[in-house]
Amino acid sequence: MGTENRGRPQFPARPAATPFAAAPPPQNMMPFSSSGPLVGSEASGFRPTPPAAPLPTVPSSTPVVGSQASGFRSPPLARFNDPSVPPPPTSNIPPPVGPYQRFSASPFPSAAQAPLSHAPPLGQPVAQPPAPPASLRPQSQIPPVPMGSPPQSISFSSPNVNVPYSSSDSTFPAPRPNFQSSFPGYARMQSNADLQAPPIQSPFPPHQGGYAPAPPASSSPFLTHQGGYVPPMPVAAPLGLQSRDQMQHLGSGPPIGSIQGLMEDFSSLSVGSVPGSVDPGIDLKALPRPLDGDVEPKLFTEMYPMNCDPRYLRLTTSAIPNSASLVSRWHLPLGAVVCPLAEAPDGEEVPVVNFVSTGIIRCRRCRTYVNPFVTFTDAGRKWRCNICSLLNDVPGEYFAHLDATGRRIDLNQRPELTKGSVEFVAPTEYMMRPPMPPVYFFLIDVSISAVRSGMIEVVAQTIRSCLDELPGYPRTQIGFATFDSAIHFYNMKSSLAQPQMMVVSDLDDIFLPLPDDLLVNLSESRSVVETFLDSLPSMFQDNVNVESAFGPALKGAFMVMSQLGGKLLIFQNTLPSLGVGRLKLRGDDLRVYGTDKEQTLRLPEDPFYKQMAAELTKYQIAVNLYAFSDKYTDIASLGTLAKYTGGQVNYYPSFQSAIHGKKLRHELTRDLTRETAWEAVMRIRCGKGVRFTSYHGNFMLRSTDLMALPAVDCDKAYAMQLSLEETLLTTQTVYFQVALLYTASCGERRIRVHTAAAPVVADLGEMYRQADAGAIVSLFSRLAIEKTLSHKLEDARNSVQLRIVKALKEYRNLYAVQHRLGGRMIYPESLKFLPLYGLAICRSTPLRGGYADASLDERCSAGYTMMTLPVKKLLKLLYPSLIRLDEHLLKASAQVDDLKNLDKRLPLAAENLDPRGLYLYDDGFRFFIWFGKALSPDVAMSLLGADFAAELSKATLYEHDNEMSRKLIRILEKFRERDPSYYPLCHLVRQGEQPREGFLLLSNLVEDQMGGTNGYVDWILQIHRQVQQNG
Amino acid sequence: MGDLYAWLVSFFVLIALLVVVVYQLMCLADLEFDYINPYDSSSRINRVIVPEFILQGVLCIFYLVTGHWVMTLLSVPYLYYNVRLYLRKQHLVDVTEIFNLLNWEKKQRLFKLFYLICLLFLSIFWMILTALDDHD
Repeated sequence: MGTENRGRPQFPARPAATPFAAAPPPQNMMPFSSSGPLVGSEASGFRPTPPAAPLPTVPSSTPVVGSQASGFRSPPLARFNDPSVPPPPTSNIPPPVGPYQRFSASPFPSAAQAPLSHAPPLGQPVAQPPAPPASLRPQSQIPPVPMGSPPQSISFSSPNVNVPYSSSDSTFPAPRPNFQSSFPGYARMQSNADLQAPPIQSPFPPHQGGYAPAPPASSSPFLTHQGGYVPPMPVAAPLGLQSRDQMQHLGSGPPIGSIQGLMEDFSSLSVGSVPGSVDPGIDLKALPRPLDGDVEPKLFTEMYPMNCDPRYLRLTTSAIPNSASLVSRWHLPLGAVVCPLAEAPDGEEVPVVNFVSTGIIRCRRCRTYVNPFVTFTDAGRKWRCNICSLLNDVPGEYFAHLDATGRRIDLNQRPELTKGSVEFVAPTEYMMRPPMPPVYFFLIDVSISAVRSGMIEVVAQTIRSCLDELPGYPRTQIGFATFDSAIHFYNMKSSLAQPQMMVVSDLDDIFLPLPDDLLVNLSESRSVVETFLDSLPSMFQDNVNVESAFGPALKGAFMVMSQLGGKLLIFQNTLPSLGVGRLKLRGDDLRVYGTDKEQTLRLPEDPFYKQMAAELTKYQIAVNLYAFSDKYTDIASLGTLAKYTGGQVNYYPSFQSAIHGKKLRHELTRDLTRETAWEAVMRIRCGKGVRFTSYHGNFMLRSTDLMALPAVDCDKAYAMQLSLEETLLTTQTVYFQVALLYTASCGERRIRVHTAAAPVVADLGEMYRQADAGAIVSLFSRLAIEKTLSHKLEDARNSVQLRIVKALKEYRNLYAVQHRLGGRMIYPESLKFLPLYGLAICRSTPLRGGYADASLDERCSAGYTMMTLPVKKLLKLLYPSLIRLDEHLLKASAQVDDLKNLDKRLPLAAENLDPRGLYLYDDGFRFFIWFGKALSPDVAMSLLGADFAAELSKATLYEHDNEMSRKLIRILEKFRERDPSYYPLCHLVRQGEQPREGFLLLSNLVEDQMGGTNGYVDWILQIHRQVQQNG
Repeated sequence: MGDLYAWLVSFFVLIALLVVVVYQLMCLADLEFDYINPYDSSSRINRVIVPEFILQGVLCIFYLVTGHWVMTLLSVPYLYYNVRLYLRKQHLVDVTEIFNLLNWEKKQRLFKLFYLICLLFLSIFWMILTALDDHD
């Protein structure tokens, strides 16, 4: 179909029909739904108008806006409600996921045309008996033919068409003032429909009815439409011409409507300005924004209720393309984001299954674990693997009879056959060695800068406070080493009263002063460990050593840990200067930026670190790096250690214990106490014909598809891309199975298995409909960050933009070509946020600007962090929330616990900052509290106390003795509790306080233009223009 | 007669180079099919890379010294490529990224293989030619 479209770039209206046919592939139903949807689409078309209502004159741009707006829960939606209610179809369709907005405008033109030339074609479809959905499809295809004939009509009508888009209102005297521009078309449609319809009508009338009322009182009705129709609509919407198809469908519609339950979220069309002109026509307010945060693809989970929860596994599109050519037309990443140990809310924990007697049931050939999608046959004696379709024997102990429907009678007692996520207790075959106890080894920098920053004290206190909560009691092992220009090991033998310090100063040939007792059992040596931690800060308080023998110390720690593996926490403050692995101050050299050498700054300088990382992984050691320096410390090199060992990088630039202490304390506590899986390997299997080819995140590949993860926890996610091995997939469904084999802290070897199914489709439109923007953005950002390691920042940013443009262009070819959608931008409903997130990726710390926009260390550490973040957290970081606080604080009655008012997120643009307000910017890692210039002094005084007028860079926020201050503190606490993985530190900024304001806050307002980078509107225009070129 | 020996030496050196490159390719193939782990694979490959480079450099100089400047010219691009890799410190296989670079590493060695085979044929051709000349 795609080709067809290309063939007739301008008016290939008919092709439109094809999408319908295609859309259903997996499930026939979809197409039909379109009929219902058609109506909806029209409606949607209308929606746009509502926004227009306030400004009737703004024709073209507004419609788009409207549509989006509706999607976004903007006022327009409300309007629509009423109409939708009336139409029966709504009931059939599950509540819309929120996706439907398609472009309103397009439908209209078609409608207009339809009466003229098309009526006959319509008649045909009508004539057909209302067939079951399956039959319908063919119909939909048919229409294209008739459509072809009417080209003249098209041309004829075209002027009309154009008009609505460009500046229709004036041209179209809107019948009803409220409905404005879009409506005129609409009105016609209705009339046409009526004229032609009579035969068809039965289905139609309801729809019409729904709509007809709408115009007069448009606002309310619309919503309902969306709600009810949403799913189906999408199809119709994209193609105005389709309207005919729709009509046809309508004819058959009634049955269809019911059937369609399947959603097709559709393309929403936003009006852009004419390319090239800076058109105020784009209504900034109407552009889509993810103000609700991340929305998981619910439809998908509804379709396959036995799939694992999306928090564990998200596919970038839940519809797997069936051919390689389809993959090549899907320009977005095709793959998955896996977070195998994501924290589950209470009551949804992953069930643990112990196959003591039978051994774990797996497919003989492909080693797939038994899962809800396997089928039992032969009276329960055999089971068929869902991934490779091999028939396996059911072991005697696992045998159960089948009931009449072919289900095992013991299904209810078998979580592994009913749940997508399950955990098996692994027998000894799954162990290379007995499960090791959790090991925590701390390698602490005690050079002068570390002492001065106060880091050592905070770390020692925090570790001491966590000793009770370290996982794995009573087996947990712990050890310490410190380093400056020499390495200090500590003998913590339980029989000692005090730890013994042993200094190794031969850096070229590291040896361990003791064979054991450097790593001790925590429960046995508890008192020694406590004594050590209490005395650690004072031990080095007078240290004036400025050197750092980091490399040798790392080797020493490795030697201590190599027997057991475990977690190595490195607290590093001074650039490694002695022994192996010493690093140069290659730092931020302005001249290197923009040259071919730029990317080498982001790569490890010394191969020592990569080799070391490989060795560490081999011995099951994970490195978490905490870096504190106020100078350049080459995070690019040091972070490599975390990258290949499944660890993480926490960077606290210019650490001062008074300021950052809380943050470090929280994050270190989290690191030490969260549930951790040790000695893990992860593999993701998938059905025949598909294969995972590349993996992105912090881990090391041990074979082509096996990720070695010395330690995994709930805050780590991994992304992977898949490709098709065969040119054509013949199966209907592809299954994915993530298996994580690990040692739990309690010493049990376990396998966590997540299984999911996804339909195979032959239609690109369906892929877009099922796309998951969150997963795509997650993969996108990882690819972009990886690209910064081998290319310039500029290139990495361009590649993000290019892929978005390509994807939108493909989508445009799919649906929009038939119309002359001069100023419009078309995108799938499911990806409405993609352009904005693309912009946010380009503006994120690892990719933004050039030399001056972020220090090299910050860039690298942010890059390492973003490579591990789960989808939700990443989206929050890319598009942080901006919330107005002052109204809430002043409201005496407001309950702090009632955060509903505070969930109203604002678009990230400076124009939303009211000088009289107090705003909170929260990206999950930092809080910025912005004080407006005209904020009432009372508020500032009560929040800041006496220093409210002083410079805010020195002020800190603490609780004062008044209601307002307490409230604010509690609000911040609430926000922090929502996501415990990081501790957002609070920064205070006053309006106009340059350069701090610009540096901290304004540069993070993604939608604003900022020193040479695009604002949201420009970005959209730019993408739009590129999409149209050669389009 | 001396010329014939020169060709014979270059013949054996080329065979040795071929063996080294094929060995590397085998290690990569084993890795791809999961017969050995990346640590072993990369350490085996890395062990022979520098000898390969040296051997090739020696061969190039040998051609020059013996006055076979056509063969010298033909093997200079290979030498240049090796030197460039070495200077950029990209000559060794990176164990952490080996799977991402697998295709590139294989392609690179396949090219080397074909290049060496071409050189080998040329040198055999000249060897025979010299032998016949000597004979006459």
